[in-house]
Amino acid sequence: MRRLLPDRLLPYAMVSPYLIYLSVFIAFPVAFSIWLTFHKWNIIGEPVAVGFDNYVRLVQDRLFWLSIFNTLKFLLLHIPLQIAVALGLAVLLDKPIRGRAFFRGAYFLPVIVSGVVVTILWQQLLATDGGVINRLLTGIGLGRVGWLVDPDVAMYAIAVMATWKNVGLYVILFLAGLQSVPEHYYEAARLEGANAWQQFRFVTLPAINPTFFAVVVLSTIGGFSLFIEPYVLTGGGPLNSTLSAVLYIYKQAFQYYHMGYAATLGLAFSMLILGVVAIQQRFIESDDDA
Amino acid sequence: MLGVATFACGGDRDRDADTLTLWTSNNPPEITTADWAVQRFRESGGKAEAQPVPEGQSSEEVILAAVVGGTTPDIYANMWQGSVALYAEAHVLVALDTLDGFLPWLTARCTPETIAEVTAPDGHIYQVPWKVNPIRMSYRVDAFPEGAPRTYDEYLAAAKRLQADQSGDGYVDTYVGYTSPRTIWYERLFNFYPLYLAATAGAPLVADGKAAFDRPEAVAVFAFLRKLYADNYFTRDRLDAQGDPFLSRKIASKWTGPWDISYLERYAPADLKYDFAAMLVPNRNTDSLPPYTYADPKNIVIFNTCPNAQEAWDFLANGMLSLEGDLQLLTRSNQLPRRADLLTNPAFSDYFRQNPRMVPFAEQARRIAGVTHEPLIIEVLDVISQEYEACVLFGMKTPEAAIHDAAEAVNVILRADNPT
Repeated sequence: MRRLLPDRLLPYAMVSPYLIYLSVFIAFPVAFSIWLTFHKWNIIGEPVAVGFDNYVRLVQDRLFWLSIFNTLKFLLLHIPLQIAVALGLAVLLDKPIRGRAFFRGAYFLPVIVSGVVVTILWQQLLATDGGVINRLLTGIGLGRVGWLVDPDVAMYAIAVMATWKNVGLYVILFLAGLQSVPEHYYEAARLEGANAWQQFRFVTLPAINPTFFAVVVLSTIGGFSLFIEPYVLTGGGPLNSTLSAVLYIYKQAFQYYHMGYAATLGLAFSMLILGVVAIQQRFIESDDDA
Repeated sequence: MLGVATFACGGDRDRDADTLTLWTSNNPPEITTADWAVQRFRESGGKAEAQPVPEGQSSEEVILAAVVGGTTPDIYANMWQGSVALYAEAHVLVALDTLDGFLPWLTARCTPETIAEVTAPDGHIYQVPWKVNPIRMSYRVDAFPEGAPRTYDEYLAAAKRLQADQSGDGYVDTYVGYTSPRTIWYERLFNFYPLYLAATAGAPLVADGKAAFDRPEAVAVFAFLRKLYADNYFTRDRLDAQGDPFLSRKIASKWTGPWDISYLERYAPADLKYDFAAMLVPNRNTDSLPPYTYADPKNIVIFNTCPNAQEAWDFLANGMLSLEGDLQLLTRSNQLPRRADLLTNPAFSDYFRQNPRMVPFAEQARRIAGVTHEPLIIEVLDVISQEYEACVLFGMKTPEAAIHDAAEAVNVILRADNPT
């Protein structure tokens, strides 16, 4: 290699595969998307420059803000539920229980099953008439719930389903975090008279803070990209109550071919995610510092 | 690496320029029919090849990708009529009326109504009206002992009778019917739209660049559908992933096309007696012909990437669109060629004698409509779908308000796209 290239070019040659990847698959699409935000384009015809029209429309677009609100509503239940369930299961699976390896595998199974398959399965469970869950409820004398047809309930039903689908991944992350906590921390705590809850609160939680932060960030980003579940289950309904931001962007881009406006929505949405993650980082990491 | 990728992506363009390429749907009978047409063309000295549309999430997405990438086939046989306007406006389709022999062929085959329906506002015709699958109502004979319902009131009366809970489990035993409650735009083509066409004798949704559906008949359709859900005669649940509710007798009727005939013949239990009827109307009419319905038309287009459009047309006219080609399509796939003489041409007599259930569909084909030639037709249907959900499914709006709001919203969209 040295014989082929002068020394000053060698480093560039070594990093060129990544630079090509970065240019073609990241830098160009991002730059093109930003350029698109100032254009009207239906993919087939020529793009037409429209100045800031797409941004003006975004500000006035009731459905976009509703989709953001819906996504936040989803996150409000999904993230705490996911963290609580994942952490609880990880703590259980960290103990020497019988069949531990089986349960670790079983909880991870939904993660690797196709989202569409999981969604169709849950459609059977959540149907109002004849769904398994409502059959159980009516069997014990309770009323039916319109899990997917009641606008006040549908997004929460999807949040529970998404938690079931994804929790296995976070169980694994928490397990890795728990297993990295040195045993002598617990020994010291026990010598000081700490009970099980105090050990968990004052030893385990601070020790797994980096994992906790990773889980919060990953599940936040994952939650913001909510798409398959409402796309297959509800199509964004009833009454747009499960219209997530990504689903709305998809509709604008691939149902109506409003590529410029979809790019504008995408850019605004990515800025929102960036802001939320920055806030999370500030709060969670500052806890760690304290 | 980039060079290899570019070369690979452009591979389709490297094919023999003298060879016509035809994409069909991936429905096996249509592939066989296309293969027959190709073989016939080759025997006459031409060069052509046919293949099913490449696999993708949907054929529409594949065609769109091909248009963007400039890798379209010469001919595509299965384009939804509503998509044609978008492609025509983008100038990627050949104006067929500029080709020798097209207009005489069209006027000999189709009714003036059909020709008007496929003619673009610029006066050109970018699509060959090829085949239709008229939407009608299939019903269980035992559920309607007085015969097929014809009006909203007759249907609602049957619904009330059927809505019983004999098993006492708190659930309706039999719904009078089912139609998808999904709000995605194309679902309205199989519930609201055929009912609208039946009620209005085939009126368009959009005319002269404005919404044309803010009328009492559309309000009546919304009111009828709304009552079906409000009184729990239809379920808001999606039943499509729970097996076929018609075969399991969970529902007594559904709105469907002729494709259901072969399906039911194959899968219906022996004791399930069924039949087909016209779409429901607000009031009985005395007309001998059935009320209008949605045609579910699929047409043929020639892309402007085709180096010899005249040869492509000749290939079609002498093959797939010939009398023999239509007969091949009909016999192989049970889909109706869109031609005026379907029931009078002796060439089809044997087929209809052997397939009597197809006869009413062929009669229905004299009273059908596609969709308006409008590039924004998907958005129009989407707006209607939003109001359908609010009014029909959830009763949050009156039918009058929902139809009026939908028309207003459609007018805003159409004005924004064409400010002049």
